[in-house]
Amino acid sequence: MPYNILNKYTVLDLSNRLSGSFCAKLLGQYGCRVIKVEPPEGDPERIQNTPMFLHLNTGKESLTLNLTDPNGKKILKKLMNSVDIVIETFKPDYMKSIGLSYDDLLELNPSLIMASITPFGQSGPNKDFDYTELTIFSMSGGMHREGLPDNHPIRYAAEASQHYAGNTAAAAITSALFKKITTNQGDWIDISIQECFAGHPHQIALRAPFIYSGVSDERMNPRFMLNNGSEPYAVGTFKCKDGFVSFLPLGARMWPLVAQMIGRKNLVTDSRFDTPQKRFDNRHELESIFQKWLDTKTRSEIFTITQEVGLPGAPVLKIKEVLEDEQFKYREFFITLKDESHGKLKYAGDPFKFVGREFQNLTNSPKLSADTKEILSTELSMSESDIEKLKASNTI
Amino acid sequence: MTKLNSRNLPLAGIRVLELSEIWAGPYCGCLLGDMGAEVIKIESIQRIARGPLNSPEGAAQYPDGHPGAEPWNRFAIFNATNRNKKGLTLDLKTPKGRDAFKKLAAESDIILCNYARTVMENFQLSYEEIYEVNPKIIYMLMPGYGTTGPYKDYRSMGMAVDAISGHTFQRGYPKLQQSSNSVVHHPDAVAAINGTFALTTALIQRENTGEGQLIDLSQSESFMTHMGNMYLEEQMNESGIKRKGNRSTEYAPQGVYKCLGNDKWISISILNDLQWSKLAKLIDSNLMNNEKYNTKTKRLTSHDELDIIITAWTSKLDNYNAMNQLQTIGIPAGAVLNCGPDTYDDPHLNERDFFQIVEDSTAGIYPMSGPVIRFQNSSTEIIHNPAPSLGEHNEYILKNVLNYSDADIKELEKLEIIGKTPLKGSDMGGSRRLESKD
Repeated sequence: MPYNILNKYTVLDLSNRLSGSFCAKLLGQYGCRVIKVEPPEGDPERIQNTPMFLHLNTGKESLTLNLTDPNGKKILKKLMNSVDIVIETFKPDYMKSIGLSYDDLLELNPSLIMASITPFGQSGPNKDFDYTELTIFSMSGGMHREGLPDNHPIRYAAEASQHYAGNTAAAAITSALFKKITTNQGDWIDISIQECFAGHPHQIALRAPFIYSGVSDERMNPRFMLNNGSEPYAVGTFKCKDGFVSFLPLGARMWPLVAQMIGRKNLVTDSRFDTPQKRFDNRHELESIFQKWLDTKTRSEIFTITQEVGLPGAPVLKIKEVLEDEQFKYREFFITLKDESHGKLKYAGDPFKFVGREFQNLTNSPKLSADTKEILSTELSMSESDIEKLKASNTI
Repeated sequence: MTKLNSRNLPLAGIRVLELSEIWAGPYCGCLLGDMGAEVIKIESIQRIARGPLNSPEGAAQYPDGHPGAEPWNRFAIFNATNRNKKGLTLDLKTPKGRDAFKKLAAESDIILCNYARTVMENFQLSYEEIYEVNPKIIYMLMPGYGTTGPYKDYRSMGMAVDAISGHTFQRGYPKLQQSSNSVVHHPDAVAAINGTFALTTALIQRENTGEGQLIDLSQSESFMTHMGNMYLEEQMNESGIKRKGNRSTEYAPQGVYKCLGNDKWISISILNDLQWSKLAKLIDSNLMNNEKYNTKTKRLTSHDELDIIITAWTSKLDNYNAMNQLQTIGIPAGAVLNCGPDTYDDPHLNERDFFQIVEDSTAGIYPMSGPVIRFQNSSTEIIHNPAPSLGEHNEYILKNVLNYSDADIKELEKLEIIGKTPLKGSDMGGSRRLESKD
């Protein structure tokens, strides 16, 4: 864990899906002790040895436990004395059906914080729906506008909505933890992935004009956007000499900067382009002038020039280039970990820095059941022979 | 107006000063306000980010298309992304404005700033300067690339962050160039969420140690943590990571398919052979027995063919109908909903009271998208107060928090340090902002 700020607190990570697992990992990065509870055969992602498994489970301990076995349940209940936070991603009512609802657990730990992260929340007609990233992204309002008008809607490349909901849950948990410290009250947090993404600023901002005036949010060519006075010929991603670059000039005030950037200050007073409406009407002409300039420049040249003139623009990096980028190297964002089966790998680091409190100590994803013995003997004072019995009955 | 009742919410009693525009900072302020903090949004009549001052009649951003006499208080995007806050104007370029800010900072817990790294420094309101009046202050800067390193002063927007993170290169239609990609602002939202996570973590630290904190949030790095699996896939896979579009490399078919109606679609994911046989049975019982498609590997190879077969079935169905049929038999499927009207009318979101009726004294009464974090045990109702009008709480804050007299307040108004009406040219792209070059 790169920071030790939350090192007084223990998380029991029961999640079997990305959002919960990511949430627990984030809490671990800021110091929480995270105990990952897996079924005796292991997390399905672990079994397939995926990059996702490694990404989600750094810094955790592994405890195997069969939650459907009465002895497994008993152990989980006993652990409630040692934990502050439980994270779970089962279908609504599953925890209740196995006698481990929030109310059941609250009897054992009266200030327990539990976060339940599900695709649609704990209530409502769709609460039991199955999902993948695509399902949930499509139902959030974020996907319908992605892509071109004459093509199908298209998802983001990252598992965006599940990471986003897991990150939201982490923020909700630290808020609840703050309340617990000041009032000794716990809480149960109901996180719906759909709501997190439907309540995302892009979605609420584009839903608002519909609410106010009935204008619906539709897929459009990125260059056709005239809302907020964006400069349509220079919005979005463009090909240049050695790849692609992205721009988002905000408002008409940036038009002179664009003209300056491409060395064509004279265009500012050109009567074809001297108002936002004219630049919109003549955007194809302007885009071709812009494109001719782009064709002669590399990404890195363009990046430097955008900053000289004060425009938000950036190179479109390939994934492997990101790993080598000087900014992220300077800030030591990627953390290199070595393990037997993969050698050295660079892991994404911390989402934010607490200046002056760095505490570099990230550990690899745990081997299956690596910490079972230690946890049961330290936290629950179980004897070696008790532990062997549980193993024999496949409880752990 | 809904009365703020935040007693049971986790951040009750915490005061936040928000200095920010667009989405990353403002949405972070919303989340803190949703969770009970008193969030004071500090703006100025010299510079507003509440839409243009001269919008034409009929512009979609305004209630019924009317900008009205105070368009800055009726702008849809602003009003949607600034709920649960109080509004204060202060010209921080003046000594008296700065003085009021410092006094307020001494009475606050958090300063949340989404401007470029040097803006607060230039106001002489840096962390070090605020620390002198309040050593317990939690102070967060959240520039595009962080506060250190070669890009620390680079300008950025969500699109730039998306580009530099590697996400832009990986997204879009695999058969088209990335230059056809849509404009996204998702990194702003991730920064807002991480900002909330950071600030609440710092509150815990302060409770335990008595110490404040300077937080350096790089919007790029904040977003890149959501792509950790992609960076690993690139390193672990010899041929590198591929653009996938809506498909998966692990299972098939997966995609978005046309439904009945204008621009209506459904997403379908088939994770295993059992799900495939169930879908095939729904489409055509002969398909179920077709050996061409009975394994994942075969389905991955003939994905294009399968897409045509599935579309022939979905295109005759309403997308909610198709979704319900598929979900009933355990297949992950979802109607592709737009923001408005689809998600606004979605029965599930409505049953969970995702929207609340908000009475905005200038914009009117509308059901608006609400808080996303649900605390079940707080015995607290969801709070959803309208975005503040410009300078709405000037008197309230200056009197109740800083004990300014009526005469002090009049003086500040006269000097245009506070106010409720933006000055000419103070909007984005306005002459005042062009001259100040910020």
